[in-house]
Amino acid sequence: MSEAVAAHADEHHEPYTSTGIPTKKVLMWAFLGSDCMFFGTLISTHLIYRKISATVGTNYLDIRDIFDIELTSFSTFILLASSLFMALAVSAIHKGNLKSTRWMLLGTIIFGGIFLACQVYEFTHFAYAPGNELTLSSYRGAPHVFGSTFFVLTGTHGTHVAIGVFWLLGWLAYSFTGKMSTADAMDIECCGLYWHFVDIVWIIIFPVVYLMEYAL
Amino acid sequence: MSGHGEDPVEEESKRFFTFFNLSMALVAITGIEIVIIYVQAFESTTIIGVLFTTSIVKFFGVVYWFMHLKWDKVLNTVLFLLGLVIALGTYFAVVYMADDTPIIDSFKVTAVENIWKAKTNYEAGAYLKHEDAYYKAGAAHTSEEVFDADKWGRVEGIPHHISWKIEKADTIEINSKTPDNPFYHRHQPEESDNVEGSIIGILAKVSTKADFRIKARSEANWSEQVKEEE
Repeated sequence: MSEAVAAHADEHHEPYTSTGIPTKKVLMWAFLGSDCMFFGTLISTHLIYRKISATVGTNYLDIRDIFDIELTSFSTFILLASSLFMALAVSAIHKGNLKSTRWMLLGTIIFGGIFLACQVYEFTHFAYAPGNELTLSSYRGAPHVFGSTFFVLTGTHGTHVAIGVFWLLGWLAYSFTGKMSTADAMDIECCGLYWHFVDIVWIIIFPVVYLMEYAL
Repeated sequence: MSGHGEDPVEEESKRFFTFFNLSMALVAITGIEIVIIYVQAFESTTIIGVLFTTSIVKFFGVVYWFMHLKWDKVLNTVLFLLGLVIALGTYFAVVYMADDTPIIDSFKVTAVENIWKAKTNYEAGAYLKHEDAYYKAGAAHTSEEVFDADKWGRVEGIPHHISWKIEKADTIEINSKTPDNPFYHRHQPEESDNVEGSIIGILAKVSTKADFRIKARSEANWSEQVKEEE
C-alpha cells in the first residue's frame, strides 16, 4: 500500500497543464485525434475506390476469392485480447506491481506480434495467390486500384501496430534495468492509449473493409 | 489517472473486473459479427446495420473504459472527438462529392435482320444477312442483280446493334452474361450528360438485351437498372 501511495505522489511530479491534466496525456490525446483524421481519409478513400474499382471490366475482382476471413477473424480476436493485457499493464504500473506490469507488457507484445505475423502472411498470400494475385497496383497482372487503397490502409495500420510493439519492447527492456517505478506510470499509460487506439482503428477496419465484402 | 479521492490501488483493482468484462464483451460482439456474415441469412442492409452498430459499441467501449475516458477529464474526450468528427466529416464530404447515380434510360440489343436486296445503296460498313450468312460492306456501293461477294466481307458470327441512352455517366460497360457468347465493351464518353451511343457487336448466337448486362458509372456509383424495365 505504501508503494501505491508513493505511486500516487510520483504521478504529481508529471508536468501538468493548466487544465489539471498531465501534459503528456493531453499531447497523446491530441495526437490520437489527429490520427483519427489520418485514418478517416484512408478509410474514406478505400470505401470510395472500392466501389469504383471492384467491378471494373472483365478483370472482375471478387475479393472474397482471396480474403481469408478465418485468419483475419483470428487476428482480430488477438488484437482485442492484447488490449486487455495493455489495460492490465497500465493498471499494474499504477498499483506499483512491477512483476505484473512486465507480464502484461509481454502478453501485449506477443499478441501484437501474432497480429503482425498474420498480416504479413495475409499480404504474402494476396500477392502470390495463384491466379488471383493482388498487388499494390494490379489484380491478376492488370492495373487495378483496389490493392492500392487496401494495402495502404491496412499497411498503415500494421505499421502503427509495429511501432506500438517496438514501444512496448522498449518498456519491457526498461523494466529489467531496475529503474522502472510508478513514476513511469504516465508514460506507460500514454503507450497504452496509443495501443488501444490501434485497436479501435482495427475495430472499424475489420467490418468495413473485410466483413462488408461478404454482405454486399 | 486523474482523479479521485479513493485509494489508487483499490481503484485500479476494481477496474480489473471492468476491463475483463469489457474484453469478454468485445470478443462476444466480434463473434456475433462473424456469425451473421457466415450464416448469410439476412439482407445486406440488415447486416450492414448490425456491423455498423456493433462497431460503434465496440469503438466507444474501448475508448470509454480501456482508454480511461470514463475516469478522465472531459478535455481529453473533446480532443479525441474533435479528430473523430473531422474524420467523419471528411468521409461524408467525399461520399457526397461522389454521390451521383447514373440513370440508364434505355438499352437495346437486336440482331441485324437486313436482308440483301438488289439495286440498293449500301454504305461502307453496313451489315446484312444473305443466305444464312452475315456480311459487312467493304465500301459504299449500289448492289447489282446478283449478290457480289467481292464487295462484302463475311462476318464470323451474328452482328447485333447494341445501343444505349443514359442521363449521366462517365463510364459504360456492357458484357454478355454467358461465357459461351462472349462480349465486352467499355466506353468512356467525353461528355457525361445525356450519353447516347451504339456499336455493332459480333456474337456467337442470336441474343437479346436479356443476355447482357449494362453498367453505367457516374462518379463512384454504378447502376445496372434500366429505367424502361422498371
